[in-house]
Amino acid sequence: MSQTLLFLIPLLPLSCAVINMLFGMRLPRLIPETLAICGVLGAFLLTILFWGYAEGEGTRAVLGTWLSSGSVDVSFALCFDKLSAPMTLMVTGVATLIHFYAIGYMRDEVDYARFFSLLNLFVFAMLAIILADNLLILFLGWEGVGLCSYGLIGFWYRKRENAKAGTKAFLVTRVGDVFLGIALLWLFALTGTLSITEINAQAEMISPGIVTVLTLLLLVGACGKSAQLPLMTWLADAMAGPTPVSALIHAATMVTAGVYLLCRLFPLVSLSVFGMAAIAGVGAITALYAATCALAQREIKRVLAYSTMSQVGYMFMAVGAGTVSGAMFHLLTHAFFKAVLFMAAGWVIHLAGEENDIFRMGGLAKNGPKELFWIFLAAAVCLAGVPLTGGFFSKDGILLALFTEGTLLYKGYWLIGVFTALLTAFYTFRLVYLVFAGEPRGEGQPHAVPALMRWPLWPLAVLGLAGGLLNLPAMVGGGESLHQWYGKLAGRQVTASHDLEWLLIALATGIVAVGWLLAHLRYRSYREPLDNSVSRFLLAGWQADAVVDRLLVRPFAAMGRFCSAGCDRTLFDGTLEGLVKLSGRWSGLLLQLTTGRLTTYLSAFAWGFLIMLGWFLLKLVNGGGH
Amino acid sequence: MTAASLPQFPWLTLLVMLPLAGALLCLLHGNRTVESRWLALATSLAVFGVSLYLFFCHGDGGSGWLRYEDVSWIERYGIRYVLAMDGIALLMVLLTAFLQLAAILLAWRVEEKASYFFALLLLLESGLMGIFLAYDLILFYLFWEIALIPMFFLIAVWGGENRRRAALKFFLYTLAGSLCMLVAMITLYQIHGDQSGTYSFVIGDLLQTKLSSTQEVWLFAGFMAAFIVKSPLVPFHTWLTDALTEAPAAGSLDLTGLLIKTGIYGMIRLAFPLFPNASRDFLPILAVLALFGLFHAAWCAYNEDDIKRLLAYSSISHLGLVVLGLAAWQLTAWEGSILLMVTHGLTTGALFVLVALIRERTGTRSLQELGGLWGQAPYLSAMFLLFSLASLGLPGLANFAGEILVLLGVFQVHPVWAVIAFAGVVFAAAYMLRLVQGTIWGPAKVKRTLPDLTAREWLILLPMAILVVWLGLYPAPFIAPLHGTVAPLLLGGMP
Amino acid sequence: MMIPFGHALAFAAALFILGLTCVLARRQIIMILIGVEIMLNAASLVFIAASAYWQQADGQVFVILLMAITAAEVAVALAMVVYLWRRKKTMIADQFNGMRG
Repeated sequence: MSQTLLFLIPLLPLSCAVINMLFGMRLPRLIPETLAICGVLGAFLLTILFWGYAEGEGTRAVLGTWLSSGSVDVSFALCFDKLSAPMTLMVTGVATLIHFYAIGYMRDEVDYARFFSLLNLFVFAMLAIILADNLLILFLGWEGVGLCSYGLIGFWYRKRENAKAGTKAFLVTRVGDVFLGIALLWLFALTGTLSITEINAQAEMISPGIVTVLTLLLLVGACGKSAQLPLMTWLADAMAGPTPVSALIHAATMVTAGVYLLCRLFPLVSLSVFGMAAIAGVGAITALYAATCALAQREIKRVLAYSTMSQVGYMFMAVGAGTVSGAMFHLLTHAFFKAVLFMAAGWVIHLAGEENDIFRMGGLAKNGPKELFWIFLAAAVCLAGVPLTGGFFSKDGILLALFTEGTLLYKGYWLIGVFTALLTAFYTFRLVYLVFAGEPRGEGQPHAVPALMRWPLWPLAVLGLAGGLLNLPAMVGGGESLHQWYGKLAGRQVTASHDLEWLLIALATGIVAVGWLLAHLRYRSYREPLDNSVSRFLLAGWQADAVVDRLLVRPFAAMGRFCSAGCDRTLFDGTLEGLVKLSGRWSGLLLQLTTGRLTTYLSAFAWGFLIMLGWFLLKLVNGGGH
Repeated sequence: MTAASLPQFPWLTLLVMLPLAGALLCLLHGNRTVESRWLALATSLAVFGVSLYLFFCHGDGGSGWLRYEDVSWIERYGIRYVLAMDGIALLMVLLTAFLQLAAILLAWRVEEKASYFFALLLLLESGLMGIFLAYDLILFYLFWEIALIPMFFLIAVWGGENRRRAALKFFLYTLAGSLCMLVAMITLYQIHGDQSGTYSFVIGDLLQTKLSSTQEVWLFAGFMAAFIVKSPLVPFHTWLTDALTEAPAAGSLDLTGLLIKTGIYGMIRLAFPLFPNASRDFLPILAVLALFGLFHAAWCAYNEDDIKRLLAYSSISHLGLVVLGLAAWQLTAWEGSILLMVTHGLTTGALFVLVALIRERTGTRSLQELGGLWGQAPYLSAMFLLFSLASLGLPGLANFAGEILVLLGVFQVHPVWAVIAFAGVVFAAAYMLRLVQGTIWGPAKVKRTLPDLTAREWLILLPMAILVVWLGLYPAPFIAPLHGTVAPLLLGGMP
Repeated sequence: MMIPFGHALAFAAALFILGLTCVLARRQIIMILIGVEIMLNAASLVFIAASAYWQQADGQVFVILLMAITAAEVAVALAMVVYLWRRKKTMIADQFNGMRG
């Protein structure tokens, strides 16, 4: 009975969201804010409280039936096991801190009820994905996340671009959702169940060819939410939302959902060699693509957005290399430092007087609070992968897994990964230098920053720096605790000789050093940004938006015009009009008979009478003949 | 009239006759607006009460007829007054009674010839109830036409600018279809009579008719002509967009929520069981038509500027999915389709209500001229958002439950159909989000203070909103009555 | 003595044709009405003759009925003629072509 209480974890944020949605506007500001915090904080505390349920095989709880028809029987079921428990803890924990930050950040916002209820709903939807024991519940969360991102990215709806960015996020991720949905239908047709546990158990019975197709479908679905190629265009535009929303999307919710999905269905996914290679391939290409884009960005949040895309690419590579624990390890450390980076970026933007362009910032190390500089730097070194930080260990683990996979293809991925690491170090330090070094270049007036926007960053920064302890490799004296914790779910055990590991660590250190050195040489003293065709190309994200517009959006709209004007108005209604005209012409001919003149009618009557009479006479004569 | 065959209270007759009596009383009240208004409300409340009672009596479904009332009527031609209710009819009756209540509340402020307006609404309700309950071909046809006439007048008298034209198009189009059906009905009657010696229009008797395959195909075509036009499947849908656009608010609600469902209901109740072989052969064509309509209408909706027309196209698109579910001939898909009919009636009905409210306040229905309503009327906009999201199939809201059941069912039989149909999900999102984007987001274009929802409007929308969430999260009570009904239908029999 | 049945029939036919000619040839509404009356009388005559020939009262009953109907018809028709005269100040039938399609 008590495992049903596990439902409190997702339901707490949900109920707070609903209360805020219904009554938030009528309550004094403090109550919706408190409710929002309580929802996530409560979920966080409950996760700790129920931690024991995750031991062993984990716990499954069923609340009731959702859909039941024929062979379909879907219940509200959740699964609190070793994979979902740490993820839940991370999501609720990071989201709690982001909520505190959001209260500070949105203190002047009038429409606070909508904001906080959507924020809570976002966390609920993410928890539904994480805890779902059932693909349909997962799908509910999956679409729910899309909805909340839609509402939050377009939160400041009066600017049309913001609302457009929200719509874009919803639509692009929904394209991915369709593929996930098709995989869901297919899995149901194959296994007769939608339970994730049972599907994983039956995975080996499915023929390999179909598994490959299913894996690819799941991959595209994951790409949508995780902003991987080719469904990545929404993420950079998602910066239109308020900064806490960006932090939430990039750190705790949404973009990690795709990685989590692949980890959740790892027993199925890992059966397909081709599928795994495709996952890693998508990750590698996206990582590289996003890192190159980040090189040329001018807006602080867009740099971070592309860095997220790139880091999630690493996580995909980890899944593709067969190590779930490696992917989850990077997911966790990334969540910590990326949340810090975004929240610190919000702080920076406040200090720069709502200025987004890093080329018009500068000098914050000297003029800004020292606290901000150290926090931002702490998170930045994690992102860049400076040795001993959390980001270093998790990224290194992924590269090691890629290197030891064996095949040449994965060696290629490894090369891309290493090169991307170089780019990452470069653009991260470029960001740090442009924002903090030199003299102030902008004209904006700094805003005061409330305490609520400051202190939530500390614990996260510490977690980011010390995140390596979660899964410290044996070589440096750690116990690979995360890998051990996951047990059977952890995927492949990455084994390598210590010499090789040291070699790779040395290489990684060298790469970070080179990246830093390049950034140092280029940006130590301020220089105007390059403006050549390459940088413009990168700034526009390889013109991906233009390509999508040309290839998909415009043909879609043209098809709409064709169906509406061409088919409906011209063909279908035109045929009808033609019929109307035709019958009109016939009626015109018949109308000429009705002259309205009494005499005509009378003579017609007489003639008719005569004819009838004649006919009867004829019959009479013929009848008489017999 | 009392049911002769079964010694029980004639609840079904009450369902049909109550609104008829209400309509007559409204007419007698001539130009007394207030009385007829309350009279209409009381009548529809009573009908809703009866349907709720029936729902609670038979909510658990069970196989066979839940209610059956049989009275001799025109004995000479074998026409009987037979009303019968199974699980599907139960749901449709409940939906009709519920939406009719909303329609009457929506029409509350109609001042022009109000008593006639309410009389027509009630007459329409009577006709709809009859369609869903009749189990005799002539009786069915009678109600089929009874439902047509009030709608014609609602559009032609109280409609928008092009009302005459739209009403005429609606009337002629559907009449052409139903005349084909009438011919087929009488032919079937004749064939059955010649075969068995007893001439009867009762559907249960006609089920036993043995038809050659040519006969079956032609008769099936006659019936389907009426149902396809009414459903409406592309390319026979242009009457609906015009009619929905021109109809008064309550008329649009009834038209989209109920009247077009009668076409699909007719397929389930008459065309498929009476002509099992022909319908089996026709299913692939039906699926193609459904898929074509799904995408065609979605594209049209995406291109539309008038929000009422946009919603009309979205209705056609949704019904494409419903018909696809039927074409799959599979239990889950059928239950999903029927559930989707109900949820679609709720969500799209509510959207038409909201469009009417928006039009009342801003004086426009053009996406070009609307925008930023959230800042001016947040509750109205929130409702609009909720029902739009439900309509685009967000999990947890009503339509998703039906859609996913349809897709799950269809995939098991025809994976390709389901895959294609699933892509329609993105299309739905595309046009619905365009609608939402154009009305409630963006800068406020109508520079006036707009009143938010009034108490009466809350009364219409709140139950719908609650139902939309309820059906999304716990549709079981509404699927339960179907379990016993759908399975025998699929096997080719009747309850 | 009795008039032979054939004579009566021939007379009635002649009367009928006269009436028909009147109806077809004249343009005045009144004259057309008179023509119609003559035709009706021709028909009545046939009834009477037949009734006498077969010695049955049915024909005479029918004629009495016909006379009553004719009276009513003429009353209505003349009232309409008056009405039409007031409207158009003419009695030419072709002037009233309001029913033209």
